[in-house]
Amino acid sequence: MIVAGCDIGSTAGKAVILKDNEILSCAIASCKPRPAETAEITMREAMAGAGVSSLNEFDWIIGTGYGRCKIDFANDNISEITCHGVGAKAVCHSVRTIIDIGGQDLKAIALGENGKILDFAMNDKCAAGTGKFIENMARSLELTLEELSIASDRAKNAATISNQCSVFAESEIITLLNEGIEIDNIAKGVHNAIAGRIMTLVSKVGAREEICIVGGCAKNEGLIKTIEDRLKVKLARFSIDPQIIGALGAATLAARMVLKKNIPGGS
Amino acid sequence: MRDTVDKDAIVNKFMTAAGRLVNDEMQEWLNRGGRIIGTYCSYVPEEIIAAAGFMPFRMRAVGSDSTELSDVYLTHLNCSFVRHSLNMALKGEYGFLDGVVTTTCCDHARRLFDNFARKESFPFIGMLNVPKRNTEFQVEWFYQELLKFKQAIEKQFHLTISKDRIKEAISIQNESRRLQKQLFLLRTDKNPPITGTEALAASVSATAMPASKFNALLKVLLKELPTSGGRKNYRARLLILGGILDNPQYIKLIEDQGALVAADSLCFGSRLFWENVDENEEDPLKAIARYHIVDRPSCPHLLDAREKHIAFIMDLVDQFQIDGIIMERINFCDNWGFERFMLRNTLKEKGIPFLSMDREYLLGGTGQMKTRVQAFLETLEGDL
Repeated sequence: MIVAGCDIGSTAGKAVILKDNEILSCAIASCKPRPAETAEITMREAMAGAGVSSLNEFDWIIGTGYGRCKIDFANDNISEITCHGVGAKAVCHSVRTIIDIGGQDLKAIALGENGKILDFAMNDKCAAGTGKFIENMARSLELTLEELSIASDRAKNAATISNQCSVFAESEIITLLNEGIEIDNIAKGVHNAIAGRIMTLVSKVGAREEICIVGGCAKNEGLIKTIEDRLKVKLARFSIDPQIIGALGAATLAARMVLKKNIPGGS
Repeated sequence: MRDTVDKDAIVNKFMTAAGRLVNDEMQEWLNRGGRIIGTYCSYVPEEIIAAAGFMPFRMRAVGSDSTELSDVYLTHLNCSFVRHSLNMALKGEYGFLDGVVTTTCCDHARRLFDNFARKESFPFIGMLNVPKRNTEFQVEWFYQELLKFKQAIEKQFHLTISKDRIKEAISIQNESRRLQKQLFLLRTDKNPPITGTEALAASVSATAMPASKFNALLKVLLKELPTSGGRKNYRARLLILGGILDNPQYIKLIEDQGALVAADSLCFGSRLFWENVDENEEDPLKAIARYHIVDRPSCPHLLDAREKHIAFIMDLVDQFQIDGIIMERINFCDNWGFERFMLRNTLKEKGIPFLSMDREYLLGGTGQMKTRVQAFLETLEGDL
């Protein structure tokens, strides 16, 4: 059985191809203006990696993410909240709380022991604490995302960034730079600000261990350490790229749907 | 066949009316020299306005696309309905009104009164004091406020509002409420003949047409509608709870994700027509005062009425077989902010799944909204 999950987010497209529940390949591509195009590019790349030449070879494909309704080749779509839950559970069985730091929103998802979603909270009305926020702050400091992570790790005395609004936070950073505050300390301040935002969101759904982070920003080790300090817990690390968890969840659900269909009398 | 045409035509009429500021029935009223007074809150008694010969019109800011004029006087921390409404007023789009009435129910709407009063925007600008508690003392107090309100209209427009005219207006409004409730109750059926979207359009239309005209339309619709055989294969039955939601497209967005919005407790919904004003009371103003302060499902402005509102919601949950509740709130709405905060715990205790959604007055950010609703429905459905 070959299935795929395709997660079209605001910043990146992700695809995972599963063969009998093993990952055959995955792909991540930057977003194009049109989600359908992003989906096609991402999927083609994943198919090339898996040696799958035609979409006809798939038993089922699930789309997820903000562009989920625009993925022409998907058989069905499921929200990224459910997909992240299923994906995280697939690679970390003991997970109970998921933090998803995406390009345009921040989510906290609470799972029951059985993996069922109990509650979720989203910060979606502004850029505070999102991937976009981190990108903007790094740009103000003229750092790449990797450099921001390393700089934050070096900080001795974190600067305070009190504004959650990304526009105002950027002005605040300029003030800090003008005052001669070290870049490392500002970088740590940026991560502290996001960690604070995450703490609020996670507390809304209840911070049950084990807690994990998914999404592109989960690759920022400086941020992860800051969040661990703030939440006073050790976050779970995945053996696979945390950015593809949503697509993995979608693919896992696709496989389940195929099985359900084969069961006599099943839906 | 003709029946279906009538039914669809009336549903379409309600949908169109809800999507516009001035609908055909209102325009006809204006063309015949009829006058209109706008009200900013469900606690303003339409009966007194109607008894004075005016058509009561519940204020909406439908069709607004910016707040550039109102933001001179208000801030981005004000309710976006209030900002859009003031903007429309400043642009002269409420030129068809002979007056507006706000209440003390909400501090944001009070700023409308301040700005209208300063600019002398309308011939009549009223502010009705609505008490915050619901004992006998407040019924009497609200009665006195209603007397003052009646006198203010009489003085401004040089007329007399007789007891009989008020009683007549109560009778017409009661009929409207009974008919609306009858329509609302159709959704207790497993396959109701109307959707939540259409039901909200009907109750919004009730606030924007001459009552007798609206009643006539709704009577025909109720006669033509079957009691069942409508929507099926929905994913869950939802109740929507909140304040001044006047846009059926918001409900449509929820229903487009596969839900059936089977019931509501909204300022433009069931709270307006669940109970009736007592027609046997000798003093009709006393009956109106009691209706608003004690009898009808209250808004969170009334502090003592929480238990009763919770009981009302729980009854709806049972009666309409509700699977989950969506609590909507316009950003910066204080009344619903606190109410929702307290309701969270109540609903958790009762084991009723719920989703909280903040919104702006104009429908926007629909991508995020769809994600939330879809995810909520997926959690209601259980294991995938």
